[in-house]
Amino acid sequence: MNKDLFKRLYSLRFRTKIILGMALMLICSGLTIGLFLSAMSSRALLDEGKKRGMALTSGLAFRLAEPLLAMDFLRMKNSIDNNFDQYDDVLYIFLTDTNGNVLSHTFSGGFPSDLLKVNTDSRGPQPLLLGTERGAVYDFNVSVILGEQTLGSVRLGLSRDNMDAQIRQQRLIILICTLGVVSLGIVLALGFARTVTLRLNRLRESAEEIVRGNLNVQVGSPLEKNCWDIMECGRTDCPAHGDLRQRCWYLTGTLCLNCQDKAYPHKIESCRLCPVFRYNFGDEIQELAEVFDVMAVTIKRHIEELTEREKTIARQQGLLKTVMNVTPDFIALQDKDLTYRFASKAFCDYFGLSEDEMVGKTDSDIFAKKQAELHVREDRQILRTGRPLIKEITFRRLAGQHWFHIVKVPVYDQDGSIMGLLLAARDISMLKKIQEQLIQSQKMEDLGRLAGGVAHEINTPLGIILGYTQLLMDDTMDQEFLENLQVVEKQTKICRKIVSDLLGFSRHAQSVREAVDLNESLHEVVHLVKHAFSLKGIDIVQQLGETLPLLAGNKERLKQVWLNLLNNGADAIGRDGSIVVRSRQEPDGQIEVSVADTGPGIPPEHLNKIFDPFFTTKQVGKGTGLGLSVSFGIIKEHGGAISVQSPVPAEYLSDAVAPSGSSGPGAVFVIKLPTVQQGG
Amino acid sequence: MPKPLTILCAVLLAVMLASCGEDEQPVKVSLRKRNEVAVKLPEPAITYAYLPQYSHSESFQRHQQLVAYLAEETGLPIRQVFPETFTEHISMFGRGKIDISFSNPFVYVNLASQYNAKAMTRIIEEDGQAEFRGQIIVRRDNESIRSPEDCRGKSWVAVDPASAGGYLFPLGLFVDHGLNLRDFKEVVFSGGRQENVILGVYAGLHDFGTIREGSLRVLANKIDIDQLKVVATSRSYPGWVYAYSPRLPKEAVDKIKAAMLKLDYAHNPKHRAILDAARFIGFVPSDDRDFDPIRELNRKVGLAGE
Repeated sequence: MNKDLFKRLYSLRFRTKIILGMALMLICSGLTIGLFLSAMSSRALLDEGKKRGMALTSGLAFRLAEPLLAMDFLRMKNSIDNNFDQYDDVLYIFLTDTNGNVLSHTFSGGFPSDLLKVNTDSRGPQPLLLGTERGAVYDFNVSVILGEQTLGSVRLGLSRDNMDAQIRQQRLIILICTLGVVSLGIVLALGFARTVTLRLNRLRESAEEIVRGNLNVQVGSPLEKNCWDIMECGRTDCPAHGDLRQRCWYLTGTLCLNCQDKAYPHKIESCRLCPVFRYNFGDEIQELAEVFDVMAVTIKRHIEELTEREKTIARQQGLLKTVMNVTPDFIALQDKDLTYRFASKAFCDYFGLSEDEMVGKTDSDIFAKKQAELHVREDRQILRTGRPLIKEITFRRLAGQHWFHIVKVPVYDQDGSIMGLLLAARDISMLKKIQEQLIQSQKMEDLGRLAGGVAHEINTPLGIILGYTQLLMDDTMDQEFLENLQVVEKQTKICRKIVSDLLGFSRHAQSVREAVDLNESLHEVVHLVKHAFSLKGIDIVQQLGETLPLLAGNKERLKQVWLNLLNNGADAIGRDGSIVVRSRQEPDGQIEVSVADTGPGIPPEHLNKIFDPFFTTKQVGKGTGLGLSVSFGIIKEHGGAISVQSPVPAEYLSDAVAPSGSSGPGAVFVIKLPTVQQGG
Repeated sequence: MPKPLTILCAVLLAVMLASCGEDEQPVKVSLRKRNEVAVKLPEPAITYAYLPQYSHSESFQRHQQLVAYLAEETGLPIRQVFPETFTEHISMFGRGKIDISFSNPFVYVNLASQYNAKAMTRIIEEDGQAEFRGQIIVRRDNESIRSPEDCRGKSWVAVDPASAGGYLFPLGLFVDHGLNLRDFKEVVFSGGRQENVILGVYAGLHDFGTIREGSLRVLANKIDIDQLKVVATSRSYPGWVYAYSPRLPKEAVDKIKAAMLKLDYAHNPKHRAILDAARFIGFVPSDDRDFDPIRELNRKVGLAGE
């Protein structure tokens, strides 16, 4: 039952609780104080009455000493009667001598002898309360003493009724006063409770508004005078100026001298001395309301900031996503358990997974078992040692050889421990190919220098051999010997040719530079071989640019290049095919010449070696393997470049080339030459 | 119930109990049971009276111990009585209501001449004398009275027409200085009380007063006696005297006289206490002839003492 009562009390409205509590308190304290006062005043009145009775009796005893000594009964009677008549509440007085003889008294019609049996000793506690037919009476006994001699006793009876009446009246007054004060207190409590709960309700309503999302609430009451009115500062640039919602002591950066550029709550100590604070500061509820307003404003500002940051983060996330989607590099983040937490689009695409599918997977899910184990070992080592891993890997796929440059670095969290690792991998296949080409070019240059040196050294002895052979041929008559010498001469001439070619390749041969019309040189060479090629069913298609500029070079040597390339194409075709010769000016100004054939093409493994001296796929004796090397040297001498592609990209084969069942993938040699202006 | 509430209830209960408590129980007494009461007459005894120059209380306190001593010493019942005035004292002596009278020498001369009183002993005053004098006192700030002659035309307060020290001795002094009663603005009597004379002069009601020598000390604790000065002092006369009624048996007189003379102020602390209360230090034997100078004074001032 008690629990129910307390539960019911607990669930009462705050206002009711305040009123009930204060009323209870007032009634209790009023009752306590009233009872106390009543008891105290009763005692005081009684004590006062007793003192009065004692004083009356003592005075009488003093005055009765002389008549008692003189045994002057008239004076005794007069003194006693005088006192008796003077006070209504004195019921009796009598005087006895030391032997208890009644010398004088105020009774008429005999003396009540019972009185002589009580309160006989004046040294006992005085007065003694007697219960008589005339109500309660305080009986006072005071000895008449002279020096140390007791002459007799005066007894005085004082009615208690008067005292009781006074006490009752006093109690009534106290009761009325207490009731009045308690009633007034309850009325005040009602007013107080209303004031408090009104403001608390406003706070509650505002809190509910905030819960609903409306942060534009104001609980604190508007001020009678704002800080700029009190200070008369005229500082419109102060953050407090015009702010009706927040008190200046909650604001940062206010411009008053006292504020000292501090923020709440550090500035509040100096604010307590400020006239604005003293004028506007209220009680705890007002302070709560004002802090509540500040809180609402602060929350609103923070929410706005958070929204702004959210937008920024979303924007940055979008940018990051775009970068991750666009970058061709593989980027992935693994946690400490080597589970993928993030992967760039390129990485996902490589494994044919979506980004969502990739997150949560491990190496064993996306790699072959052996490779996954290798990765796990490497990753664990990185996690353990914190040392990054940089490596290049290669593998072959249907599209060809692939190279990847892989970097794996540990990722640290804020407390400095490793939280995972970041993988960045880049496809460097193209770079590798270019590197190989560079190496090849270097090799060619070295070979050219070597061949040039050797040829130069061999050229002189070969001239001597040829000269002496021709002298011997002139001098001999022996036909057989002459024939042998003719063989020597022929082979020596072949050697000279080879040496000459080698010198050409190594640019050691001196050549004259002049303005060359490229199309003309091409015409001349095509014209030279056209007939012979047609005999083998090889058709030469010319697509020559009409407005090609002149270039600086050696026309004869360029023609040798064209001849070599046409022969090479014809050799590749064998029978029935087409060779497309094209010239055009590139947008960058260079002149591009291409010679494409419809032959069987060049195997990829031969592509890097095709310009090497003495490299040939022809049968022994069919070629020296120097044709393309010499062409490479001549083009390089002209500041150009020659490259080969097989199979032929469609753009190099003319539409004119009729599809033929016997035509292969073919090969195309592309030469790029600088014009006169470019070559200088 | 929570603790605070329990405590609150307990406090309230305690306060209520404390405030409502009525610890006095009346003793039942009937005022209706009445009897007639009569005052019992005192046992017959030798009556002893001190000439009422002080209040009864003062007289009682001074002589009560001496009376008790005499009764005890003689084995006789002795009771002090209190005449209201000097006249009553004399009258009571004459009527046989006073057996032993302690009076000044003028009263004694009267008692002796009228009722045949016999002197028994004289007292030795605190100054060691068996005689005493009268004094003229004025306020210290009264510059107009420096000698008895200056009292001419002034207001005089005296103790009683029958007072020796308080009236007759100073009157003798005035007569010696050529002044008689008509030479004063007025002569007022204080009803036989030395204190009243002193207080009358002290209050400025009268220009000068006449008292028995030594009376000022009586009021030393009640007023500032330095405010008063003694202008002149009379010659010495025999002091206060114990006289007995001729009706008192001789044996009783002898016993009483012997008891009086037995008191030893110097060596007996009990006797000293008795005598201190009575304000004298002993007794000397006396007879009627000792009082002839008083009779002479009476004639001088025109009193019919004989």
